[in-house]
Order: sequence, then C-alpha cells, then structure tokens
Amino acid sequence: MDLLLQQLVNGLSLGSLYAIFAIGFGLIFANMNILNVAHGAFATWGVIAAYFLLINADVPFWVAVLAGVLGSGAIGLLAELFAFKPLRDRNAGMLGSIIVAVGIWIILLNLAEVVLGPNPKAMPEGTFPSQPIDVFGIVVPPIFLVNFAALVVVAVGLSLFLSKTRFGAAIRSVGFKPETASIVGVNTKLVLSVTAILAAGIAGLAGVLTSFSTNNVSFTVGEGLLLKGFAAVVIGGFGNIRGAVIAGVGIGLLEAMTLQYLSTTFRDAITFGLLLAFLVIRPQGIFGELKVSRA
Amino acid sequence: MNIVSILSTLEFGIVFGLLALSVYSALSTGLLSLASIAFAGCGAFLFVHLTDQLNWSPVLVLVCAAGVGAVAAALLSVVLLHLESHYIAMATIAVVLMTRVAVLNLPGVTGGVNGLAVFEQLSPLYIIGALLISIWVFARLRRSRYGLASEIVREDTTVAATLGINIRAIRRVSFVISGAFGGLAGALLASLYGYIDADTFFMDLAFVCLAAVVLGGAFHWIGALVGGVVFTVLPELLRGWFDQADQILNGLILVIIMIFLPRGLADPLRWRTIFGVGRSRRARLPEGPEGSPDQGPGPIKVKEAQS
Repeated sequence: MDLLLQQLVNGLSLGSLYAIFAIGFGLIFANMNILNVAHGAFATWGVIAAYFLLINADVPFWVAVLAGVLGSGAIGLLAELFAFKPLRDRNAGMLGSIIVAVGIWIILLNLAEVVLGPNPKAMPEGTFPSQPIDVFGIVVPPIFLVNFAALVVVAVGLSLFLSKTRFGAAIRSVGFKPETASIVGVNTKLVLSVTAILAAGIAGLAGVLTSFSTNNVSFTVGEGLLLKGFAAVVIGGFGNIRGAVIAGVGIGLLEAMTLQYLSTTFRDAITFGLLLAFLVIRPQGIFGELKVSRA
Repeated sequence: MNIVSILSTLEFGIVFGLLALSVYSALSTGLLSLASIAFAGCGAFLFVHLTDQLNWSPVLVLVCAAGVGAVAAALLSVVLLHLESHYIAMATIAVVLMTRVAVLNLPGVTGGVNGLAVFEQLSPLYIIGALLISIWVFARLRRSRYGLASEIVREDTTVAATLGINIRAIRRVSFVISGAFGGLAGALLASLYGYIDADTFFMDLAFVCLAAVVLGGAFHWIGALVGGVVFTVLPELLRGWFDQADQILNGLILVIIMIFLPRGLADPLRWRTIFGVGRSRRARLPEGPEGSPDQGPGPIKVKEAQS
C-alpha cells in the first residue's frame, strides 16, 4: 500500500512536469500553428540559464527558476523574430514552419552541447533543500511540492489569462485567424511575440524543475520532455489546457506505475502506444480541440 | 581532404538522398511522413540477418529490404491514411518513437540496447546501382498518369476529387513507394555504418531527411537527392572549426533556405521562370494549400488569396 502511494506521489510529480511542458507546447501549436519540435531545446536553454546563474552567483532557488523562465522566453522571442515571423510573412505553410523548427532545434541542441559539454552535470548542492519530507511513511522530496504547485499556478493562471483578459482574447483570436484579428485591431506581431515568450518561458520552467527533480543538467533534458509533452498534448487535445494537464499527469502516473509493477522497458511502449492509438482513433484528443475549424 | 574520404562522404550522401527520396515520395501526394525512418529500420535489420546469417546475395537482400519496407508501409497505410495533414505528421512521428521501443524490446531480432554489428560491406557499385534504379523509377513515375495525379492530389484534394482521382488510392501508392525506398536505403545505410542500434533510426535521422528534402526542393524528385548530398557533404567540408560547428551550420542553412528559398534548391517552377520553358507560370501561381510551401519568387503577390 505504501509502495502504491509512493509511486502515486512520484507519478504526480513527474506528470506535473510533463503537463507544464505540454501546456506551453500546446499554446504554441494552437495559437501560432507551429508544431514546434524545438520546444524541448527551449526548455534545455532555460536549464542552461539557471545552471550558469547558480554556479556563478550565489542566488536563491527562486531566482534561478526565474532566470530559467526568462532565459528560455528570450530564446523563444529570438526564434519568433528571426525565424517564425519572416517565414509567416512569406506565407509558408505548415511544412515550412516544421522545417524551420527543425533547423532551430538542430542549432539550439548542438549549441547546448557545446556550452554544457557531453557529460551530464548536477545542480549545485544546497540550492534547494533535498532532505525528503516523511509523510506517513511516504518519502516526498520538497521539489515534488514545487512541481505540483507550479503546475497549478501555470494551468490556472494561463486559463484565466486566456479566457478573462483582453490580451488573452487577442491571443485566441490570432490563433483562430490572424487576418481577421488584425482587421479588428489586434496587434498581431505583438500578440505572436508574447505567445512565443509565454510558451517558451513555460517550457523553461518545466526544464528547470525537471533538472532539479532529477538532479541532472545535460543538453538532452528537454528532449525527454518534448516526447512526453507531445504525447500529452495529443492525448489531451491541442489548445486545451485542461486536457494537457489531465493527460500529462496521467502519463506521469502511468509511467510510475509501469516502472513499479511491469518493467522499465514497457514504460515508453505504453506512453507512445497510447499516443499512436489516440492519433489513429481519436486525433482530436480526449476533450477535442478548442479551435473551431472553418469549413 | 583526400579522395577516399570524399568518395565515402559521397556514398553517405547518396544513401541519405535515397532515404530522402522515400520522404519525398510520400510528400509528393501531400503526406508529410517521417515513417520512412521506421521502414529504413526494418530494411536495415533484415539486411543484417539475411547477409550475416543466411549469406544471401546482396542484390536479393536489397530487393527483400525494399519489399519488407513496402509491406510495412502497406500495413501502416491502412490505419494512418485517413488522417489529416498535421495528424499524419504526428502519427508517423509516433510510429518512429514506437519503432525505437520495439527495437529495444526485441533483443532476439535487433540486439536490443547493444545493437548489431554489420559485417557485410557492400561495394559502392551497389549504391550507384540503387541510385540509378531510383532515378529511373522516379523519372518514369513523374511522367506517368500516377505522377500527374499525385501532383494534383498534393496541390488541391478537392480539385483531384472533382477530376475523379481516387485520392486515398494515390496516397496509398505513394506511401508504399516510400516504404520500398525507405527499406532499400535502410539496408544500404546499415552496410555503410557497420553498426546499427535503436538510436540509428530515430528522430534525428527523420528530421535530417525531411530537412534534406525541403532543402533540396520538395517539388521534384531530384531535390531529395540534391538535399541528401548537400546535407552530408557540406558539414564534412566544415568539420573541425569547433565542436558541432557542422551541425549548427546545418540548422542555420535550413532556417535561411526556408525563409529565402522556400521551395528549395531544385525548383521546377523557378527553372520555368529562368529558362522560360513549360507552362506559363501565371497559370500556376496561386497554389500552396495546407502542407506545401507557398509561392515561388516573382512579382505577383497573392498573399492572402486563399482563405
């Protein structure tokens, strides 16, 4: 029983990270119409920003997380300004945006390897309390609580931002149809830049928290997140924050349970099998896409 | 750079070009498919078993590799082809992810995490032979009724349906051709690498192939070959500046090409404008439905025409 609860806790933490990443990935897909394969690399660069701040300056945990978010947000903005925007101006279709994302991914991944070196590193000791809390016999590292809290803040905050504010409405309108949005007075350039920063920043948050949770700083941190986040977005439905959260946490729980009760080798098989099954049988995800498609 | 390394680089370039042809084949009917990598994996592992354990002749093995790719593609086409453009891309990405899982979990066939050593080294003649056959096949296909139909299916499915073209059938054929060439290229790649494992046929290779197609030009089969060779030779020339310089440059080239030359290096539309041959380009301009880079160079801007 304790074992089951322990794995539930582990899965919840892991799933929170997947879900946070998936929210950002889904945001960029639904509102910018880009299948952004570079999103994992954005997360990695958030980790790099946090890591170098931590080893060079004695800053608290929260500052490092913030640096990670800002760092990857800046990368997202650069990608938008120098790659996605020029491409959009030339009206290239979905294929063009995927290829450009592939290009950015190659650049960022290899630069990350140059910066971090091929061997994994660890976050500096003592930045965040690593002493686990004992709750009725279940071991809960404090970072787990942060992961879960971050998911709640991001999911609720972004939902409210998108549904209740004027700027959120602008983001959704540009996601629906940029031309129409600009006719009614939305500053599309600004909106798309902010969307890119938000999505990349959320990826950075997921990356930094993953690095702290697994105590692993390497140039491939984002790649694992990308694949699982992608699965979560597809299963939950694009542009659907609730779906991404449920699917992300679900995948995390499923993986923890598979590790415990089946075997390591089945972990990816189940996640990606589920992904493939959803794409073939129900491509719109559990809750369907929020985006209304035109006839 | 000596002559031997140039030749070996060229060999790699041609084989990547063949794999890119596999991606092109699906793309030529508007299917953005990365499943070619999975087919290449099937072909590669079959190649190892048939050459090392059964000692079959290379030609026969290459034919079998192409065959197993085609069969895999035919089976996949049953479940995948009803999907829309983005979803085809994502589903084939999922297929590649699943392939890796399968390779890792079938150690009896694939060597699992340890991979397999490939002892059979094919002579370059086989690669050149495969290249010539591929060129012949694609050149013939382009001029055939299938080639015409596939171009229409890619540009506008509604028009294709109105003309009585069976879209699903055309796409299935293109997918099976993609499978055959994927399997063939995979077998050749295995013999070049000398060692294959689960990570050989994974997302990196998939994206590089897709990138090669688009870099070379996604509107003519020669683009895939050009892209494959350019994408292999160029980094080789620049190796040694600093770590990963070649890869980073690949990425930069990709972004720049997509922005400034969205139809790739080899673009039949541009040849028409330059050499003034073929149909008038005004008649062809408003194109570019979902899934294809839009608009060649030229004075006529029809930016928001289709909505």
